[in-house]
Amino acid sequence: MGAVDVLLDGLLEAVRLLLTGDEDTWSVTALTLQVSLTATAVALLLGVPFGTALALGRFGGRRVLLAAANTGMGLPPVVVGLFVTVLLWRSGPLGALGLLYTPTAMVIAQAVIATPIVAALTAAALQQVDPGFLLQMRALGATRMRATAALLAEARLPLLAAGLAGFGAVVSEVGAAQMVGGNIEGQTRVLTTAAVLATSRGQFALAIAFGLVLLAIAFAVNLFVTLAQQREEAKGAGAPATEERTAPGSRPSGAARSSS
Amino acid sequence: MGISCRSLRVTDRGRHRLAVDFLEVADGETVAVLGPNGAGKSTLLRALAHLEPAAGGEVLLDGEPVPPAQLRAAVAAVLQRPVLQRASVLDNAAAGLRLRGMRRARARLLARPWLDALGIAHLADRHARTLSGGEVQRVAIARALAVRSRVLLLDEPFTGLDATTRADLIADLRTALDQSTAAVLLVTHDRDEAAALAHRTALLLRGRIRQVGATADVLDSPADLECARLLGYTTHLPSELTGHDVLLVARPERCRLVVPGGAPARHGVVVAGTLRRVVPLGGTTRVDVDTAAGPIAVLTTTEVTTAPGDPVCVAVDAGNARECPPRDAAPIEDTA
Repeated sequence: MGAVDVLLDGLLEAVRLLLTGDEDTWSVTALTLQVSLTATAVALLLGVPFGTALALGRFGGRRVLLAAANTGMGLPPVVVGLFVTVLLWRSGPLGALGLLYTPTAMVIAQAVIATPIVAALTAAALQQVDPGFLLQMRALGATRMRATAALLAEARLPLLAAGLAGFGAVVSEVGAAQMVGGNIEGQTRVLTTAAVLATSRGQFALAIAFGLVLLAIAFAVNLFVTLAQQREEAKGAGAPATEERTAPGSRPSGAARSSS
Repeated sequence: MGISCRSLRVTDRGRHRLAVDFLEVADGETVAVLGPNGAGKSTLLRALAHLEPAAGGEVLLDGEPVPPAQLRAAVAAVLQRPVLQRASVLDNAAAGLRLRGMRRARARLLARPWLDALGIAHLADRHARTLSGGEVQRVAIARALAVRSRVLLLDEPFTGLDATTRADLIADLRTALDQSTAAVLLVTHDRDEAAALAHRTALLLRGRIRQVGATADVLDSPADLECARLLGYTTHLPSELTGHDVLLVARPERCRLVVPGGAPARHGVVVAGTLRRVVPLGGTTRVDVDTAAGPIAVLTTTEVTTAPGDPVCVAVDAGNARECPPRDAAPIEDTA
């Protein structure tokens, strides 16, 4: 059987599995979404405030931390998995919790992977807003808290993209999920680890089915975000352009800038 | 009652940028702070709004010192470069109220009349990113007015606008301010803006207020040479030319060129010199004349028939010449 036949068979089998509502496939998919969405939510809860502090704070070591967050965007999942495993190992510092090889352990590991991504992209998003934005909000009588909230609202699209990047990173990683989850059927098996196992067993159709579901999830999430962004952009471009066009809210443009 | 400041000092890396002993803006009054670029006008405005830390002194509301939070709540400022939110014009106009905790629907309701007052009601649903520079300024001003704060601070709200847009906006702003009881401080480098909008004007030079009074009085009678320059009295006639005890200054457009031996100025002064050059500026003509005490400039709308190198006299009528103390006031570093 040639490679093309394998792929074709795999695709057909995958479609059959998905359409017939194969219980295993759907339970694996459900767990994948549950683990990765929870991890992304945790990463947003931690990463957005941290990224905001990195972008706006005036404290020693801010730049070093920013560089660290940027580096953290490329954390190898296997390395994260290794450290979380060591921490959660029965005789390790957090071993008493008995979390290793549970979905909770996978959420922890994936949150560790996604948090620096969210933080670094949040910092970048906020730094792209007009530098005078916060001062102007404060000049209108906003408290520091409300001004910061307005800034986050102003950067909502890049922040959405930050969350998306975090989710994309964890839903597709296999190293950490395998290490801290153990790929236990019905308990910690997610799409990526299931695909790896199926492939190693020669069950290409099954592996391709898992892969397709993964792709479909990624596409659905991206579609949602892209549509949201395009809708927003269309609002800003709907009216006829005037001669002196300025772009408030983006980087200061020449036209809006005064020289004195 | 209104906003005032006492002994307000702002420093930047040890250097004084601002030292204002006293300035008051009463409720319902508009005060212009007129000064050249870099005089500390924006610094003063930001210090009054507690947006910039002051090294000393205090800002008073109704004569009483107030904590920063209370002061900020009483103040709305339009900063030099307007920054709008990524939202519709109406939502931007409502932003000041929203930032003070008001619900969106109510904020939009209260903001709408101000769009009308600033002539941009038809843009209410437009996205802020599609506006022209003049429209952005109008939204920024409407947003600050909609807050109905006790104090309104305007930092060069007309910079970067073409002459027509600017004139229209000044007229609309004047009408809007006339209906308001806010204490308004307008920072500008343009004396026409001060003349059009302000009851009183303070001249700010190198971080210090040199002169303050009713706008018409201040614009008409500079206290010293630097103030004179700022107010457009750029033709200087030193005492060795005029025989007066002190330096006389005049606006170049109020000086006349006369041929030697012609009609003398009415109770004014005439100085002799040599015509150096004639520069047509479209409508007016600038004539530079070399005198024994240096060059002086005249702006005239009549045709200049004298040629460079010819002897010529510059006449200033008595009502157009101002006496100026010989020396500038001490710079800020010496006294602060």
